[in-house]
Amino acid sequence: MNPQEHPDTVDLLAAEYVLGTLRGSARRRFEKWRSTSPLVQDRCRFWEENLMLLAKGIRPVRPPPHVWQGIRARLNFVRSEPRRRTGRVWAIAASVVLVAALSALLYWRSVEPGKLSEVATIATPSGTQVWEVDVYGERGRMIVRAGSLPAHPADRDFELWALPTGGKPVSLGILPGSGSAQRTLTVAQQQALANAAQVAVTVEQLGGSPTGQPTTTPIFVAPLRATS
Amino acid sequence: MSSTAQSADLDQQLQSLLDRCAAADSTALERLYELASPFLFACLTRILRRRALAEEALQDVFVSIWQRAGQFSAARGRPMAWMMSIARYRAIDMLRHERSAPVLVPDLPERADAAEEARDESVPWMPAAGLLDRCLGLLTDQQRSCLELAFVGGNSHEDISRLTGNPLGTVKSWIRRGLQSLRKCLES
Repeated sequence: MNPQEHPDTVDLLAAEYVLGTLRGSARRRFEKWRSTSPLVQDRCRFWEENLMLLAKGIRPVRPPPHVWQGIRARLNFVRSEPRRRTGRVWAIAASVVLVAALSALLYWRSVEPGKLSEVATIATPSGTQVWEVDVYGERGRMIVRAGSLPAHPADRDFELWALPTGGKPVSLGILPGSGSAQRTLTVAQQQALANAAQVAVTVEQLGGSPTGQPTTTPIFVAPLRATS
Repeated sequence: MSSTAQSADLDQQLQSLLDRCAAADSTALERLYELASPFLFACLTRILRRRALAEEALQDVFVSIWQRAGQFSAARGRPMAWMMSIARYRAIDMLRHERSAPVLVPDLPERADAAEEARDESVPWMPAAGLLDRCLGLLTDQQRSCLELAFVGGNSHEDISRLTGNPLGTVKSWIRRGLQSLRKCLES
């Protein structure tokens, strides 16, 4: 096919190639075509630069230090002095700690949460407490304490949902695996909690459900009790 | 500094590092890795789902960036888009062998919050959001969600059909129309 004669087809193929939905032999053929046609390259660049914004919600994750060591080894870079390398590891570790600390600061500002308004105790049928959820409605804050968690695959997260009466579940975020987590609730989350008599927990992909709705059947449903 | 100016500065910095990589300066690759690897690693993890695979892919990506840095200088464009494409295409290639089941895009659980509270630390090499944001806003929810499942999660048409419970033809059509509508809006 001459790309100049079919600009719309070329554009759509380029878009689906960049999006990743052009697969299999069609993808291989398109790659060959791209390597020889400046017009095809141009359309790919257009989509690469524009579709990138779809990934803007992705939060950077620092890879472990051994990945860089592997790259150096594969490229035959001269090894650093051992002392310097140790320094680098510490520098990376320090920056990871700093990033973690800043994120923690952003998400769970350590201020007095205010007056406790609602509580949910998520427990197993035998009574073992798994999480306790404390809601401070006045200040729009929530504190969750993890107890004894059920076993789950490492590539899954537990997600907490408010179940407003007559409405769809509203995510309250990922539950901590240990310790406690404090966070500020959005207006939508506060409204959902205000209209909810129950909360639920589902097992979701790491980072939580992408659809904004539970993708699995809840493993826990617990009543939300007003404290006043 | 405005985010557009910051983004342009970073582009310039990345461009100059790539130029130095093309001239075989290994300290430039190290700096480039420090700047870009956290974002690329996060993208790879989303698509490949397994940390060990994402680590392997990240190594391939930086070896590739080192080997192809000269080509980038010649081609121009936005350095981060170029690097991200190398990463995503590598991950999609690896999927052919490594994954049989569709995966959900683990999007931010606290999406609204995160956007608000972390605005200042948003990824600075993202394109100026104005026009594309407006264009994305014109898509239907289904179109946008399918595009995200494909772009961020590395899901195929079939995966998205299974994940969302919609017929394959419908998914394909939502994606095609979404892309056509984006193009029309972006180029208008």
